[in-house]
Amino acid sequence: MKPTFFLKRRSTINYLRKYWSLYLMLSIPIAYFIVFRYIPMTYIQIAFKRYSIVQSPWEMPWAGNNGFEYFIKAFQNLDFLYALKNTLLLNFLDLLIGFPAPIILALLLNELAFPRFKRFTQSVAYMPHFLSWIIIAGLAKQLLAPTTGLINVALNRLGLGPIPFLNDPTHWVFTYVFLGIWRNVGWNTIIYLAALTNINPELYEASAIDGANRWQNIWYITLPGLRPTIFTLLILSLGNILSSEFDRPFALSNPLVNSVSNVISIFVYRYGIRGLQFSLTTAVGLFQSVVCVIFLVAANALAKKFGERGIW
Amino acid sequence: MQKRRFVVLCLTLLLVVASSVIALAADPGFVDGRFTTTRKITVEIYDRSNPGGSTPEDNFWTDFIKKGMLEKYNVEVTFKPVPRWTEVEVINNLLAAGDAPDICVTYSFPTIQTYANMGGVTDLAPYLEEYKELLPNLWDLLGDQNIYWNRDPETGTIWAIEALLFQNKRINTFVREDWLQKLGLEEPRTMEEFENMLRAFRDNAELLLGEDADKMVPFSISFDVGWRGDHVISAFVPNDMSDRDMWVYGFDDRHLLWPNYKEGVRKLNQWYNEGLVWKDFPLYGAGDRTEDNMIKAGYVGSFIHNWDYPYRDGQEGIHANLKNLVGEDAAFIAVECFPNDAGIYRKYLSAPVDRKVFFPATNKEPLASLLYLDFISDLETRRFLQIGEEGVHHEVLPDGAVQSLPVVGEKIMNSPQNIDYTITINGLDLGDPVLTARSVALNYAGVEARFIERAYEITSNEARYGINVQVGEIKAQEGMDTALAEKRNNLLAQAIVAKPEEFDAVWDRGFNDYLRSGGQAIIDERAQKYDAMYGN
Repeated sequence: MKPTFFLKRRSTINYLRKYWSLYLMLSIPIAYFIVFRYIPMTYIQIAFKRYSIVQSPWEMPWAGNNGFEYFIKAFQNLDFLYALKNTLLLNFLDLLIGFPAPIILALLLNELAFPRFKRFTQSVAYMPHFLSWIIIAGLAKQLLAPTTGLINVALNRLGLGPIPFLNDPTHWVFTYVFLGIWRNVGWNTIIYLAALTNINPELYEASAIDGANRWQNIWYITLPGLRPTIFTLLILSLGNILSSEFDRPFALSNPLVNSVSNVISIFVYRYGIRGLQFSLTTAVGLFQSVVCVIFLVAANALAKKFGERGIW
Repeated sequence: MQKRRFVVLCLTLLLVVASSVIALAADPGFVDGRFTTTRKITVEIYDRSNPGGSTPEDNFWTDFIKKGMLEKYNVEVTFKPVPRWTEVEVINNLLAAGDAPDICVTYSFPTIQTYANMGGVTDLAPYLEEYKELLPNLWDLLGDQNIYWNRDPETGTIWAIEALLFQNKRINTFVREDWLQKLGLEEPRTMEEFENMLRAFRDNAELLLGEDADKMVPFSISFDVGWRGDHVISAFVPNDMSDRDMWVYGFDDRHLLWPNYKEGVRKLNQWYNEGLVWKDFPLYGAGDRTEDNMIKAGYVGSFIHNWDYPYRDGQEGIHANLKNLVGEDAAFIAVECFPNDAGIYRKYLSAPVDRKVFFPATNKEPLASLLYLDFISDLETRRFLQIGEEGVHHEVLPDGAVQSLPVVGEKIMNSPQNIDYTITINGLDLGDPVLTARSVALNYAGVEARFIERAYEITSNEARYGINVQVGEIKAQEGMDTALAEKRNNLLAQAIVAKPEEFDAVWDRGFNDYLRSGGQAIIDERAQKYDAMYGN
């Protein structure tokens, strides 16, 4: 036993001596994850405890109902149920309309004949990604407000009457989804465009010889080539089905559309950060994460069942 | 070696003994009205981010306070800015991080109660008792009434003391005086006359605004309908509402639950649908300047707001802007036009309490902090903070009244009469009531006295004041205030923009949601505790 043990140890030391610089580099991201991701996770226990601003989470007393008091409270809270419904609705629409959008744009860009024009279009399409939602919300008000918004002023002059983009719940949902696409579609094409470059050009040459037209090229070569990427991104998106952005719905919201704009993150902000009910909102956050993980795992399993690679 | 060890041991022992003595006695470091070693405290200060304002935590006024506290008590003061419009969130975070200022200020007692339940607030009762002798100015200003206002009837705790609302002024209804003259209208005295005036504004937009006629807003409100529509709505509240109802249903600071409130909102709904109310009001949130800019540009005919709102902020304010942008005679004047069912122009004002001052549990200097409050409450100190330097901030007229002067630059006041620094009082107090009243009218640089006198008089005319009801904590209210206030704002905005035939449905849906989301539980608990304490 002894010699092998020593041998093993020596080889480990040798190995580390050889590659220490790589491990040193790796330690930085690992330290980041430990400090900013794993240590904060100890605070999840707040969901099962009675929160106090002056005690550390380890000292706080346990909540009632075997610690599940705040989960029960959350599901009895009407606002939470609305927020849950709205989060699912908005995320589902985002997925339904927002997910295919970058694929279509990537295909369109791919078909462009002039490389210069393609590059220019690509850059312009990326740009909105760098604007914060606060600025976009400001722009939206300037453009879409019912009486003073530029678009509605124009519609009024044409005698068409204003469209309540921001002040009617149904219209607002579409404004919300549309602005989301406008901001992110260009950015999200990057990964598809990268995947497109990986498709073997010989396939296109072969199809040209076979007399395939453009549609057939897209349908039989490009899209199948993109399939693994599409599935990976779809699985990741499904893992986000219950997660919710804060700044986007918060900045775009107003009192007339709160019946659709109040999502979980806004609930957490209102009850937790403003109302100081941290236990309740931590419980909500934990529920949200658990559902997301379930979706992620299920989507991955499903994808594997259909013969795709999955994400792990 | 042995010797040195012995010396160290002795010194340590001495230190331990000394520190235990400190813990036992009141504060032995306080001798003859002064600390022997410099103590440090931090104080919350609202940051209003006014255009042209100065740094709230470091300016002419903070220097004055810091110097005074250091000289008088040997206490070093640091100010900690907190954004005015998101103060609750920021204080929550500061408290949670153990980083809150030693002296905190907020308008919501339930918020303080929530902190207190978590052990985050210092009980002031023992300190007030112990140091009462050292705080003559605080007692002179606030009296037992405001100091003991929040004493819990059962436990005797005092989580916060109440600042004095010296001039109990709330809101006014303002109309464009020059528009009335242009259209040959009398000042409205009834709901109907006000309504007709709004219609006249709407129908004469071309005459009043010329090219900008499509920007006409006869009556402007904001997302905070309960505040900005208050006088109209209050006129529908029955005059004979009992004290019990007023208190039990009065926890919402905009009075949403008071009897007949719905009918007041219905009136606003009717106006909205007639095109008399600013169409886009719900889109602009707290702190947004869009509406202010519309008022300054002269597009707005009337609105309800803080009693002196158009006259505030000197050259940056509404009054000055209207004069510059529209014309010399353009001005808002306060009017009284909403009598209730008894024909009384009822204003519902709070009790004479204002902000609530509390010390977080992290406060290690309760005496120094109380002395700060005493220093701030000293007539000399607050007089200076309120009116500033003669020749710079004000001049003294022959009759002794104080006339304020417009100030820009380093010595500017970020809030009217430095209300953010005088945290124990709201309202000008020169020590002499007659002089004070005369001076308030003069205290708005560049605004003719008649506007202020009128606003000052009618804002509290025929008022009904809140009463102090202490029944202990209302558990159901804990942590609910901000969520319910948000719901109220949503409900009111949605009800106002609803089509008239849908008003009832929209209202009932929102109102029931409000009750089911915690409103009803609060009402029930308040009613039960009130009846237990005072009898039904």
